Amino acid sequence: MQQVYSIPKSIKQNSTFTFCPGCDHGLAIKLVAQVIDELELKENTIAVASSGCSVLLYDFLDVDCIESPHGRACAVATGIKRAHKAQGYNKFVFTYQGDGDFASIGLAESLHSALRGENITAICINNTNYGMTGGQLGPTTAMGQITTTSQSGRNKEYHGFPIKTAEHIALCEGTSFSARVALYDIKNIINAKKQIKKAFEYQKKGLGFSFVEILSTCPTNWKLTPQDSHKKIENELIKVYPLGIFKDIEND
Amino acid sequence: MSEKVLLKGNIAIAKAALNCGCSCYFGYPITPQTEIGEYLSSKMQEKKLAYVCAESEVAAINMALGAATSGAKVMTSSSSCAVSLMQEALSYASSDELPIVLVNVMRAGPGQGYIFPSQGDYNQATIGGGNGDYKIIALSPSSVQECVDMTYKVFYLAQKYRNPVILLVDGLLGQMAEPITIEDNPYPNIDNSSWILNGAKNRASRNIHSLEPNPKKLEEHTLKLHKKYLEIEKNEVDWEEYNCENADYIITAFGSMARIAKGVSDYYKTKGVNFGVFRPKTLYPFPYERLRELSKKTKVFFDVEMNLGQMHKDVCQAISQNSQVFFIGRPAGEWLKQDEIIKAIDKIFEGQYATSI
Amino acid sequence: MIKSFIISGSGGQGVLSIGSILANIFMLNNLFVTYCTCYGAEMRGGAVNCEINMSDKEINTLQNEKVDFVVALNQASFDKFISKVKENGTMIINSSLAKILKPRNDIKYIFMPFSEEATKMGDIRMTNSIALGILAKLLGGFNFENVKKGYEKILSTKTELIQKNIEAYLLGYNYKMGEM
Repeated sequence: MQQVYSIPKSIKQNSTFTFCPGCDHGLAIKLVAQVIDELELKENTIAVASSGCSVLLYDFLDVDCIESPHGRACAVATGIKRAHKAQGYNKFVFTYQGDGDFASIGLAESLHSALRGENITAICINNTNYGMTGGQLGPTTAMGQITTTSQSGRNKEYHGFPIKTAEHIALCEGTSFSARVALYDIKNIINAKKQIKKAFEYQKKGLGFSFVEILSTCPTNWKLTPQDSHKKIENELIKVYPLGIFKDIEND
Repeated sequence: MSEKVLLKGNIAIAKAALNCGCSCYFGYPITPQTEIGEYLSSKMQEKKLAYVCAESEVAAINMALGAATSGAKVMTSSSSCAVSLMQEALSYASSDELPIVLVNVMRAGPGQGYIFPSQGDYNQATIGGGNGDYKIIALSPSSVQECVDMTYKVFYLAQKYRNPVILLVDGLLGQMAEPITIEDNPYPNIDNSSWILNGAKNRASRNIHSLEPNPKKLEEHTLKLHKKYLEIEKNEVDWEEYNCENADYIITAFGSMARIAKGVSDYYKTKGVNFGVFRPKTLYPFPYERLRELSKKTKVFFDVEMNLGQMHKDVCQAISQNSQVFFIGRPAGEWLKQDEIIKAIDKIFEGQYATSI
Repeated sequence: MIKSFIISGSGGQGVLSIGSILANIFMLNNLFVTYCTCYGAEMRGGAVNCEINMSDKEINTLQNEKVDFVVALNQASFDKFISKVKENGTMIINSSLAKILKPRNDIKYIFMPFSEEATKMGDIRMTNSIALGILAKLLGGFNFENVKKGYEKILSTKTELIQKNIEAYLLGYNYKMGEM
């Protein structure tokens, strides 16, 4: 009998995801782990977790990891990358952040890392709200979307507009790669892994800041079933946040 | 012995940092400490070391936090109102047990204040503005020579205790030049191979985090940190005494004010009055015990600071109940000069009780 | 014995150069010295000044209410620092750029057209060194080797420039006080 599936080596053995049922975080982490395995990065990686649900990364991913203060993951990653470089080592450094962490409180650190062309990778899980604190309006909450702090839906008078992160990062000269992916069906999952791999490879090649925004579910706070959450992404959110590659230094 | 050179404090600190192997610097400009970053920018680039003109002080200290996980000697420098921005990361770094050197060349506050010399950050350095039960080691030089010697020491203490350390420098010292000699770093390197993050090769993966959802583990961690602080308090207290033995009066002061205080002591010596000067070199840990011992003989203390009495409370806490402390100080803006201090002391001698001038 | 100095002028007049050379000469003479330059926004508008203390003992007076000597290379410096001269102290003034006025009668004044003298030498940049020469004379002179070394520390390998500056220094040093 042939084994067709196994848990990635870079996932901690005997660990069980503690995310909510139907949350895409677990899948996203698994894809990251698969890419780390395939590129044989495990022994050379330092990951930077952030505040929010994404902080749980180090409970599951079996690589060296530091948790960053809220929003500062790209600054922390910059320090790690540069410190090792000064000692003559090229370590693989990536951040794993939520949209609130990356694009709200940490926007300055994120954008400036991209502008500097910092040779790191950032993975941003965009679930359009502050999940860990119970679903408040975030920088990516779509117009009209109901959250605990926009109970009649996001409107421009009170809340202004959401940020299209991958498009913004693509505008930075130091960015090598910027893409938005989703995880609502097999085709998209396969594509998401492909883009994560590309982003990681670009760092390995030393091309500059690489970025993947992953549109993800938050069934608990969206108050939807896992199935309906994925349908919401497919039917509503990708209209607001179109999928695609916004910058690819090797193919543009 | 090395040749004497005339250097300002900021440059002396930068040179000493490079001399003792600082390989990472992250900073954002603010007067009166900008020369540190300016000097290091070219020197570190020449040596291919890590140097980033950070987008903010928040980013700078977090870059330092990241870099510290590599085991490298890392430094950031800033001033007062911008050090306020770094408090969060200091709390994190304390919990994460990361060695970070932060040089604060003080300016006047509160808020933006101005670039005048001040000692208004004693509380910020020794108590801190971050959350939780944490402590930052804080050293305060009183001469440019000490800027060098203490820079060596703060890097050593940061590594030894895996804790952030602040070098709290009076704005005046950062800007003032004095003849100094730069000897080699006298401190050994600390083996950090057991905890650094450099890739999980031939070992289990490590993670460094302050988040701890398990209440028992969080308590254990905080108690472990506390134990370390007690160790620091036992081992690292440092101070200077000037004519304190058999002194009728003792002036307590830190940083540059301690030098002014020595001038006051010399003045009173010509009048036949014995004035000692007691200067904490480590602000945390504070030399409570030695001060208490001195207060068994000396009954009257004058605490002199360029603020409105921040170290004063520590002096009060230290001395015995039978002694008393008069406070002489003024907030930043105008310098507190020797004659003013003498005038204030004379006034107190005349029986006009005053707590400030 | 502690002596204190302020040197002041506008940007480009070499205030910090001679300040730092003077401080270095003191250092080379094994004296204690502190040297402070104005910084940050204080420099806005082009005013530059520095303050020096010199003593044979450790210096604990870091900031002075008043100083023994003020060197003013222009009118603005004269106006700003006339009140900072100690009683019986001395003010050395570049009369090429400042009026010959003596508003206080408890201090000594030395007026000399440094800029004109420097121009006569063929290089207006020598203004500062002429002033330094005068100051040196008032202090009873320095070990000349140390003066040269002081210049070398600041101007490093610019041999020609050092030579010229030392000529200017000597011009100031040998200026007959009666001529002032």
